[in-house]
Amino acid sequence: MGIGFLVPAFLAGLAALAIPIWMHLRHRDKDRPYKFPSLMFLEQLPIRTSQRQRITDWPLLLLRALAVALLVLAFARPVFTRQAMAGTDTRSKAVVILLDRSQSMGHTSVWPAALDSARAIIAALGARDRVGVVFFDDAAEMAQRLTEDKAAATAVLASAKPLPRGTRFAPAMRTARQMLLDAPYAAAEIVLISDLQRGGTSGIAGLDLPAGVKLRGVNVSANDRGNTAVRAVETSRISDGARTLLAVKARVSTRELLVARTATATLMLNGREAGTQVITLPTNGETVVTFEPAVAVAGEVSGTVSLTDDALTADDRFYFVVPREDALRIALVLPEDAAGDETFYLDRALSIGRTPEIRFDRLRAAQLNDNTLRDVGVVLLWDVVPSTSGATLLESYAKGGGGVVVAAGRRLGAQRSASPLLPARITGMADRLPDRGGTLTQLSLEHALFAPLRSTPDALGGARFLRYPRLDVETGTAVLARFDDALPAIVERKLGTGRVLMLATPLDARNGDLPLQPAFLPLVRQLALHSSGRDAVPLWRTTAESWSMPDAMRDPVVRVPDGSLLRPTADSLGSAVPVADAGLYAAYAGAATGAPGAFLAVNVPSSESDLTPIDPAELLLGVRESARASAETNAPPTADEFERRQNGWRLLLIVVALMLLGETVMSTRGWRAVARRYRPVTPERSER
Amino acid sequence: MPAAPASFLDPALLARISDLALLARTVVDGFMHGQHRSMRKGASMDFAEHRSYQPGDDLRRIDWRVYGRTDRFYIKEYDADTNASVVFAIDSSGSMDFGSGAVTKFDYARFLVASLAWLSQHQGDRVGLATFVGDLVDVVPPSVRHLQLLLHTLSRTKSSGTSQLVHSINRLGLVSVRSGIVVLVSDCYDQPDAIGRAVDTLRMHKHDVIVFHVVDPAERELPGDLPATFEDAESGALLPLRPGELRGKYQSLIEAHHLALSKRIAAAGADYVRVDIDKPLDYALHAYLDSRLARSRVR
Repeated sequence: MGIGFLVPAFLAGLAALAIPIWMHLRHRDKDRPYKFPSLMFLEQLPIRTSQRQRITDWPLLLLRALAVALLVLAFARPVFTRQAMAGTDTRSKAVVILLDRSQSMGHTSVWPAALDSARAIIAALGARDRVGVVFFDDAAEMAQRLTEDKAAATAVLASAKPLPRGTRFAPAMRTARQMLLDAPYAAAEIVLISDLQRGGTSGIAGLDLPAGVKLRGVNVSANDRGNTAVRAVETSRISDGARTLLAVKARVSTRELLVARTATATLMLNGREAGTQVITLPTNGETVVTFEPAVAVAGEVSGTVSLTDDALTADDRFYFVVPREDALRIALVLPEDAAGDETFYLDRALSIGRTPEIRFDRLRAAQLNDNTLRDVGVVLLWDVVPSTSGATLLESYAKGGGGVVVAAGRRLGAQRSASPLLPARITGMADRLPDRGGTLTQLSLEHALFAPLRSTPDALGGARFLRYPRLDVETGTAVLARFDDALPAIVERKLGTGRVLMLATPLDARNGDLPLQPAFLPLVRQLALHSSGRDAVPLWRTTAESWSMPDAMRDPVVRVPDGSLLRPTADSLGSAVPVADAGLYAAYAGAATGAPGAFLAVNVPSSESDLTPIDPAELLLGVRESARASAETNAPPTADEFERRQNGWRLLLIVVALMLLGETVMSTRGWRAVARRYRPVTPERSER
Repeated sequence: MPAAPASFLDPALLARISDLALLARTVVDGFMHGQHRSMRKGASMDFAEHRSYQPGDDLRRIDWRVYGRTDRFYIKEYDADTNASVVFAIDSSGSMDFGSGAVTKFDYARFLVASLAWLSQHQGDRVGLATFVGDLVDVVPPSVRHLQLLLHTLSRTKSSGTSQLVHSINRLGLVSVRSGIVVLVSDCYDQPDAIGRAVDTLRMHKHDVIVFHVVDPAERELPGDLPATFEDAESGALLPLRPGELRGKYQSLIEAHHLALSKRIAAAGADYVRVDIDKPLDYALHAYLDSRLARSRVR
């Protein structure tokens, strides 16, 4: 029959059919009984009461039962599933072409093949068939809506070209799905023209295509998939007397080369060639290219490592940006009675790591002055607070962008310090020894201080703290972490463009075991970087990410790799610009003139260099289909057609209303009305 | 006997009169209008006839003059008005609360009792009242001053409940220690033999008994042709049936019941008067007065 129900649960209401049947079996008793003085004589008569349980008014019962049944069906919202029930199908076949324009499609022989495939598919369609075109890389772009104009669709293909971007099939498939849902079709097909890199399949799992929509993959990958690419770059600044040298190492990966070959690797720094290496590449594997250290400026250095062109040239160039002279100087202010090994763990933690390198100078509080604070990124007060003049100096230092870290310990706890520099008053010491130590809770993982720990939020949970100062936070101070007794553990207060952080967590091993935890090193390093105002900056990012502008840059303008300018939109989290293309991005403050305020290097994911295709059948592995019926029978209808198909409930309600009207007439007219309004016939009174 | 104007005695008309005293007066005055013979005879005794002396007769009532002429003992008999006690017993059970016309059986019974009580009062009788359902409910002892109390009690009595007619009749004999007249108004839904035995008991107490059997036309006819559910007015029992199919048998049963009642009550020495409530009250009044006259003769 081809009838379904939108709300089949309402069909349970058919049980209500028992109501009119029961009423008809019992209706005499429900009528007003005729009061009679005595049944003494009537009970003596042979009355077959079994007849009373029979249904006597079949027409009325059937009418009522039918009305109830139709009412239930109307609420169940019947829908005709067959085309014939809703009228003639005037729809046609629809084909959506998904054309991969990622970086890997720039392979010498791939892109022309992809275009040829797309044109061939369009040409094979019938006159009334429609075609849509979607270009995709990391994201999808609908280039042509479903149209019968084949020429327009073919012309759209000419505007496409491979872009230095990654590959993701899922956004393209979702776009095609939405295009098909928005327009009726009798049969539908999604044709994916791509080199079918395995890296592009992420996100396909769980994709729900309309029932009956065929998904076909057209593999246009090259037969010779040998490829060489620069995968990563490592840099380090080396002091050479008064100069600073930049050492660069590049990692070059090779895949499926037919034979080992040589290639030339060239290092460019700030647009100038800084080194060349001739390397021998294996058929498969990775080669590390170490360039001779080159003289570099103290500021940011943008660079590229490029290889001799091969069939896929886009991944033969790798962009990176080395942050400005990145040695971070810390002034470690110690108390007069500090023991020699008191800062042992802190020294070791600060000494480890590059980009930036951290150097620190040991000072006494009395030595703090403008000279000692020059070029210092962070002043770390180790269980000591300076005098009033020193506090004033540090306050002005922080307001100017410097960072002050106060590592409070037993000395400050004993003094109950309340310097105006401190973001919290110290009211004494908490002794957690009876509890076998307290732990950290309520970490504000969204804060930049804990950025290295976001992937392992429990990394600090194992640390035990035996004694620590009791902090009483001042107004305007943010608590970044607390001990398990709710006392603040790490607090921060911003002063001007700088900040003052105060740690009640012991950084030595006497009053806790935090230095023995694996999270100690990244935490201390991030503490230094964050308090100095420069969080860790990667050498490059990958496409499809976004670039958050530095806070200090006002009204930024970004020049993207193709030379155009973007003005990022600002929100509560600051300004950010999407980095869709690989290349070098430059940010300017206010206008794109002068020296850029910041650089960002963007490369495509390394997986884009792996040209190994997947079997087209694998595309369907993660794709769900509502039913395995043919497209002709299960193709989703349009909104109008769907409305037409399920419009029957209105008709049913009208029929029910008419039937109930008829029932009212039937039951209140004629002999039924007499029966209902039964009054005994009064015998004719005899007149005397 | 000429009939009273029907307009004064039509139950439908009387039903509009809420005051029972006014109703009774209206009925009695209307009924008595045009009567040839007044029921009032005064306090003196009027000679009626002689009869032969029977052992046990009062010797003071021997007519010695006749003895002197005939040398036989004759007793003088007189017509005389009595100052009798009349107790009206009215069935106020639920079955009486039925009427297919303008009035119910109970309404008609009240009209009848009120009228008879008025009539009796004006004849110098002591009037009393007893209402009963399962047992006696309200009892107004017979007295020449109790007419208003009787009418008031009658007016506030409602008909409901399950009747125990025989038991109630048996209790009636205890209402008045003096022999008198018991006027029983009921629809007599009980076995004729049982009712007859109860009347026998009243008769043993030297009571004259008049049974007014009030009947609604619907009770005679079993109206209606279509299926209907009948409900017992007293017990509430339901009985679905088709009256049209059962009417003949029902009418046979009800006629047999009436006949049996008539015979059995007559056998008990009481008067049985069947009163159809669609008929004017004078029929019942005539029946009462006829019976009253028959019993007013003292022998």
